[in-house]
Amino acid sequence: MAEVRIAPQHRSVEILASKLRRRSIVGSRATALETLLVLRQVISKARFSNINQLVEIIRSVGRRLVEAQPKEHSVGNTVRKVLHHIREEYQTATRGTSTTTQTSFSISKFVLQGQPKRQATVPKTEIRGTLRENDSDDPDSFARGLKPVLMEAIQDVLDELETVYDNVAKNAKDHIHPDEIILTLGMSRTVETFLKTAAHGRNYTVIVAETAPSYSGREMAKSLSLAGISTFLVPDSSIYGLMSRVNKVILGAHVILANGGMFAITGSLVAATAARAHSTPVVVCAGQFKLTPLWNLYHEYGAHDFGNPSDVLGFEEADLVDKVDVVNPYYDYVHPDLIDAFITNDGDHPPSSIYRHVFNRLLKETYDDEDNEL
Amino acid sequence: MIDRPSMDTPRFDISAALQRILQDEQISPPLAAILALTELIENSDAGTMFELVKALNDGTQVLKTTTSNPISLNAGCELFTAFVTLFPHDSANFNDLKKELIRQGQQYAADALTYRRKIAQLALGFIKDGSVILTHSYSRVVMQTLLLAHQHKRISVFVTEARPRGLGIKTAEGLSAAGVPSTVILDSAVAYVMDKVDFVLVGSEAVVESGGLVNAVGSNQIAIIARAANKPFYALAESYKFHRLFPLSQYDLPSHNSKILSFPSLSRPEPSVSSSNATIKSANFSATETTHSGHARPDSDSPLRITQEQISQNNPDVDYTRPDLISLVFSDVGSLTPEGVSQYLVGMFAG
Repeated sequence: MAEVRIAPQHRSVEILASKLRRRSIVGSRATALETLLVLRQVISKARFSNINQLVEIIRSVGRRLVEAQPKEHSVGNTVRKVLHHIREEYQTATRGTSTTTQTSFSISKFVLQGQPKRQATVPKTEIRGTLRENDSDDPDSFARGLKPVLMEAIQDVLDELETVYDNVAKNAKDHIHPDEIILTLGMSRTVETFLKTAAHGRNYTVIVAETAPSYSGREMAKSLSLAGISTFLVPDSSIYGLMSRVNKVILGAHVILANGGMFAITGSLVAATAARAHSTPVVVCAGQFKLTPLWNLYHEYGAHDFGNPSDVLGFEEADLVDKVDVVNPYYDYVHPDLIDAFITNDGDHPPSSIYRHVFNRLLKETYDDEDNEL
Repeated sequence: MIDRPSMDTPRFDISAALQRILQDEQISPPLAAILALTELIENSDAGTMFELVKALNDGTQVLKTTTSNPISLNAGCELFTAFVTLFPHDSANFNDLKKELIRQGQQYAADALTYRRKIAQLALGFIKDGSVILTHSYSRVVMQTLLLAHQHKRISVFVTEARPRGLGIKTAEGLSAAGVPSTVILDSAVAYVMDKVDFVLVGSEAVVESGGLVNAVGSNQIAIIARAANKPFYALAESYKFHRLFPLSQYDLPSHNSKILSFPSLSRPEPSVSSSNATIKSANFSATETTHSGHARPDSDSPLRITQEQISQNNPDVDYTRPDLISLVFSDVGSLTPEGVSQYLVGMFAG
């Protein structure tokens, strides 16, 4: 495999990598979208004559992007998802032509996959015999055959990303009842859409914490009140005091980990802990692309993502600046025990089954195990 | 002719086979049970699937009687029997099928020996540099994990003595020999040490359907203390230890019997006894004679002595740890939340 053509360092890949590194693109959905667009370009230009070459090309791009910004997990997720689709399309395309899929049943397989399926695999009637790997006469024929279906698959992923807010919000009315008091913080588009959808023909109150130091809560409060929702903007320090009157805490997420914990904007942990003290339910709204097959176990402070300290203490306080260390972490890690439910575009899950459904059902459908480490 | 198998099976001594297989230090009871059952197939002349499964079930029954704690053996037997029943076969020749089943069993046992390494690799990602780990008793998979971790990171280990068998000492010796700093602590000192510990790592006898853990007695109290101190409690279990059992309490385990935790009928009703009032004791002795069991010592001249053997006789070998106390189960099929285990069991045994 010496002549595997590693993706010619695409300009688009490098541009995205530097944007990610310089944080000119932030947010899980924006990065996921950009990654997907870059991958589409890479695939359309790539030259490969078998599946392994293609997978290696995508992986090398994925590694490049993940290295550029390891804290934006949705980049890796998108790459994993595309790889999964590539394999799936490849399998449907080559089924019938290859005879390697002989059913062998062993104890380890039995443990892993359960009882053997009764139905015999019906060979697909559509036989695309045209797809031939490593064709020495025409090395590009494989790529020509596979590319159109891959483009379709990527379009599907793109559509999913584009409709994710509405799909998360589609059951909003089941979660927010009339005259409830909801507490939220930060400016999450998912939560914003969710709250606005629930507000159709229903009166309820939202308390928005300012969410220092970004003060993105102000933006959220403005947007909600413009939509006609009764909104209160409160300082972060009053979250605990107000919690006794709150019926439900609704949070957005940056990334959801396989154990059901999540990274969310700073302040989420305060809200979730205060909610626990009052037994107030904590609900998290997030698109499925935020689910990551990774575990974060050691949430040391230094492992967090840090923002610009001048948001906390600016240079106008010049005589203080050299006397104190100022840290401004972007995200809090919220432990799965503090979360009651995740509302995703693929149904509602308790944190414990993020693992069970998500890792085994959703993630297996979305990602392949071998791609967990890109 | 049909009677032949049941006549012949007893000729093959499955419990002897099991003992022989268990001589191998690397083979754990469930695998040994699977290997013993493959030998049973080899020696049985069952001519139909029905006969074969019956022979396997009989063999399982025999194996169960050989030990006081059949839980892990049972896990292996059930796995293999379910596999045999579900094995898709269209071969006209039943002997070929038997050969294939034997091959599958042996193949699995050979493969399964690599599982501990797989689990160690998986668990390694969860052990950070400088960790202080508490472990309990002796477990091959825990040993392998700790030794692997030692190659990559600085770890130190507290290990409980794990009465009555005292296997913790074996763990500490093995670790010290490899250069891992380790200290044996008393079972009663677990709460004392817990604040110094980063996480608890234990092996397992079986992981049951609820996701709970069956392991050397004392695991449960360690899990409870770990929870109280907010420390993660990790269990390591090869997937052949997944066992289709749903205990609701300690006393639902198959290893529980009436002897465990029984009160010996004492010969003296007074709680405060010393050697000085031996005369009172002997007077009462005749009155309570009829209720005597073998445990109570009728020798009226010496004070009542309680020996270690007596203690271990009416104490359990294993206990059950509730799933909500377990943070994660590391297995060769992946790192699972306790609930994740049931999914594999349902896949195998339901439907």
